[in-house]
Amino acid sequence: MSERTSKKVFSWTAVNTVIVIAALFPVLWILSLSLKSADTVTDGRLIPAKFSLDNYEGIFTGSGGDVFTKALFNSLGIAIIATLIAVTLAAMAAYAIARLNFPGKTVILTAALAIAMFPPISVVGPLYNLWRQLGLFDTWQGLIIPYMTFTLPLAIYTLSAFFREIPWELEQAAQVDGATPFQAFRKIIVPLAAPGVFTTAILVFIFAWNDFVFAISLTSTERAQTVPAAISSFTGASQFSAPTGSIAAAAVIVTIPIIIMVLIFQRRIVAGLTAGAVKG
Amino acid sequence: MSTPASTVAPAVSETTDPGRVEKPQKKALTERARAERKLGWMLCAPAALVMLAVTAYPILNAIWLSLQKSDLRFPGQSEFIGLDNYVTVLSSSLWWTDVWHTVVLTVISVAIELVLGMLLALAMHRAIFGRGLIRTSALIPYGIVTVVAAFAWRLAFSDADGGFMPGVLRSVGLLGAETDPLAQTSTFSTYVVAILAEVWKTTPFMALLLLAGLALVSDELHEAAKVDGATTWQRFWRITIPLMKPAILVALLFRTLDAFRIFDTVFVLSNNGSNRSVETVSVLGYNTLLSRLNLGLGSAVSVLIFLCVVLIAAMFVKGLGTNLAQQRGE
Amino acid sequence: MSIVASTVLALSACGSDDTAGGGPAELQFWAYNEPSGAFRTAAEKCTADSGGRYRIAFQPLANDADTQRQSLVRRLAAKDSSIDIMSMDVVWTAEFAEAGWVAPFPDDLARQVKAESLAGPYDTGTYQDKLYAVPANSNTQLLWYRKSLVEGEPPKTWDALIDAAEKLPKAGRIEIQGAAYEGMTVWFNALVESAGGKILESPQQVGLDSAAAVKAVDVIARLANSQAADPSLSSQKEDQNRIAFESGAAAFQVNYPFIYPSAAEVGEDFQGDIGWAPYPAVEEGKPVKAPIGGFNFGVGAYSKHPKEAFDAAICLRNEENQKVAAAEGGLPPTIAKVYEDEKFRKDYPFADLIRKQIEDAGVRPETPAYADVSLAIATTLSPPGRVKGQAAVDELKQKIQDALTSKGLL
Repeated sequence: MSERTSKKVFSWTAVNTVIVIAALFPVLWILSLSLKSADTVTDGRLIPAKFSLDNYEGIFTGSGGDVFTKALFNSLGIAIIATLIAVTLAAMAAYAIARLNFPGKTVILTAALAIAMFPPISVVGPLYNLWRQLGLFDTWQGLIIPYMTFTLPLAIYTLSAFFREIPWELEQAAQVDGATPFQAFRKIIVPLAAPGVFTTAILVFIFAWNDFVFAISLTSTERAQTVPAAISSFTGASQFSAPTGSIAAAAVIVTIPIIIMVLIFQRRIVAGLTAGAVKG
Repeated sequence: MSTPASTVAPAVSETTDPGRVEKPQKKALTERARAERKLGWMLCAPAALVMLAVTAYPILNAIWLSLQKSDLRFPGQSEFIGLDNYVTVLSSSLWWTDVWHTVVLTVISVAIELVLGMLLALAMHRAIFGRGLIRTSALIPYGIVTVVAAFAWRLAFSDADGGFMPGVLRSVGLLGAETDPLAQTSTFSTYVVAILAEVWKTTPFMALLLLAGLALVSDELHEAAKVDGATTWQRFWRITIPLMKPAILVALLFRTLDAFRIFDTVFVLSNNGSNRSVETVSVLGYNTLLSRLNLGLGSAVSVLIFLCVVLIAAMFVKGLGTNLAQQRGE
Repeated sequence: MSIVASTVLALSACGSDDTAGGGPAELQFWAYNEPSGAFRTAAEKCTADSGGRYRIAFQPLANDADTQRQSLVRRLAAKDSSIDIMSMDVVWTAEFAEAGWVAPFPDDLARQVKAESLAGPYDTGTYQDKLYAVPANSNTQLLWYRKSLVEGEPPKTWDALIDAAEKLPKAGRIEIQGAAYEGMTVWFNALVESAGGKILESPQQVGLDSAAAVKAVDVIARLANSQAADPSLSSQKEDQNRIAFESGAAAFQVNYPFIYPSAAEVGEDFQGDIGWAPYPAVEEGKPVKAPIGGFNFGVGAYSKHPKEAFDAAICLRNEENQKVAAAEGGLPPTIAKVYEDEKFRKDYPFADLIRKQIEDAGVRPETPAYADVSLAIATTLSPPGRVKGQAAVDELKQKIQDALTSKGLL
């Protein structure tokens, strides 16, 4: 029996190792690449022959100017604002869908689902055309608005799934016990809803952080260019130095927030991602 | 990026708390019910209007533009030309080549993801220890920025960028001494790298969707079958798979639609679209719209991509519908 | 909804850039990140020389011309007023002028520029007899070779070049631009022109009379399929060529003169071993129509300070700044006088050859649809190893015709 158990332990260790390596290898590779010195960056070695932080120094202070730091700021700002707007609007809708009885909620959910599947390339042309006339091309708003195409459906779905789990009767119970409707909402519902809202916000942020199609189409300079778009058009310190090292360093920097969020909120993210599915 | 599993609740919309749904009785709609209905609409209105504004308007505008000759470089020459742009696109071999690239990438990546995703889901479901570890690891590819992931793969495989993989592949004889796996002429290896990048990035998503489905398969059924002498393999095929069929179909639907609009990975791997050996329809649309600024022709491409997506969705939804109906009919 | 509206308002408030009244005009100068820093130096010098009239801020664009153009046209179509001065590839003039994205220079300034410039480069900045962009630097390709590897006279024709390279026991490669981008069009145009043909008969009409075009395609196909081709030919651009040549993998390179100052960084010996010869001919005896490239400086049509921008654009490419760009960045001047300068001739030992090639160059087609025409050419001829004579020419004709009428997917 104990031999069987140890065999099981062994095989699960093997399985887990394979999964972890497969999942992390490309990330470790880009990390390794980012630590290579300028003269060894294209040497084709897996592990740096010479460790150096030059690439990081380069993207933050290098002669390429502050392209990267500005892009990082744009990315953060745009993703946070888009998240706040999407989660606020979606929370209202999801509350209604979970709690109230009204015709049309199926339509809203179906529409959100359909819009989530929308190919962004189908809307990017008209948006560019409209933005250039309205002066929204290459601005924060010009990205935040189209981000609603994917952030809102995602937020509505995740939040409705979470809100459906909330025992709303507690609110009424509290009111029966003498609490005002506002007190009942604040003391009972807010704490119950907060984790779901928070989880949704994380997911929405990750999605907004990730966008590329809108970013390369609707922005162009450091005014509003986000990191994915900036990385794809990195030029390197000069015309003759390949931007490989800078790309790798920038890639590592934008991956750090994701890894931190995944490490801390792993359970919640999985719950958020599967909340709807389990219900179905 | 893939749409998360939470959107996988089409069933939700149909079965929203059946207990609560009161048949709307026109004559006896109480004051309270009317107020609730109004509040519901008011709360949903902002989200609904924004969603409508950011998608319906642009797509209608795209349809309108696609019927025009409209090139921003020749601002004075815009005119209505009916379906000419569609004729141009559909009679162009480039469009069909790119459709082919897109279909190949979609079908192969989704197929591989389904198998690997199922294995990963089983591992997450059954692991006797380290579940948190594998879940966390799997979430990293899922959460990482697609462009970053694509660069990781490109910088590993491209000879021109000094990647380490060409050396590895050559040492085992899988790559010619002077072939760059991501060169214009290396279509096959470019496909392979693109598929690897996609599979790596989205298998966790597939696995999470399937994991949710796995959770619905009751242990009792398995136990009962075990008692009847069914092997693990038999139980997997006869119990797990049939019960998971809706979850699998939903997962396939989402991944297929998502894979069909693939842009980021191909754009980065092809050096910002300059290597066109596996160019996909989305990249073609982007180039026509935003590099050539030919809004008319580009919009025709966009509308066609949109129609493809609708078509794929319709096929899946039909399959899913019959499947659900069958299950309910049992 | 109100949240969206208020956020949008708040954001637009912080996004606007007000220019304070008085003080020097802020001019944004968009150009590729010229590696020697000559553009930055020029911007600083002109700012200092303006006596407080304007201040030029250098804003780097991407390195390859296609990406630079994409970024500029997208913003110009959106009437971006932050583009005061831009560095324009010589082939963009017609497109930018026709679309109204670039402002024509006032006649008096145009006359002044014309008087000091070489005719070929000056013409690249004009469209329908107006000067839209002042010639900043010209460019042309030479045949560069390693003197230690190549015996005797360097080859004069493409066929002789390929033969010579194939005969070399090692490093017998010819480095040239074979990726599907502008560089391919540059090569093809030079071949067609040298064979006596033209890509366009007029801005609306395809040329490519068969014999010359087929000959041009044959040269590309022969080189791509010979042992002299770099295995990565189909993805090579100028800089990959330079790197391969510097690594010692090639004996020949067809490229712009920026490779020469760069070679000095590899080592004095290496630079000393580099020889140069005229761009190869298609047929011995026929005149060579070498590529002409380079950049002109144009003033954005939506600039808020056009007057200052015109003056600044002219200053940025004045004699002094052209000398610096030539000496440090290897960029051939457009002002005739600079070619007489002693110091310049010393830094630029091939000055006379360059000047001669620029004067007899094969100019690329002049049409507002140039970008599409070029894309049609580059994609049809790519990968270069698979092109076949007449078939390729027929396809080219069809695609270029579509491109001229902004039809057809490319």
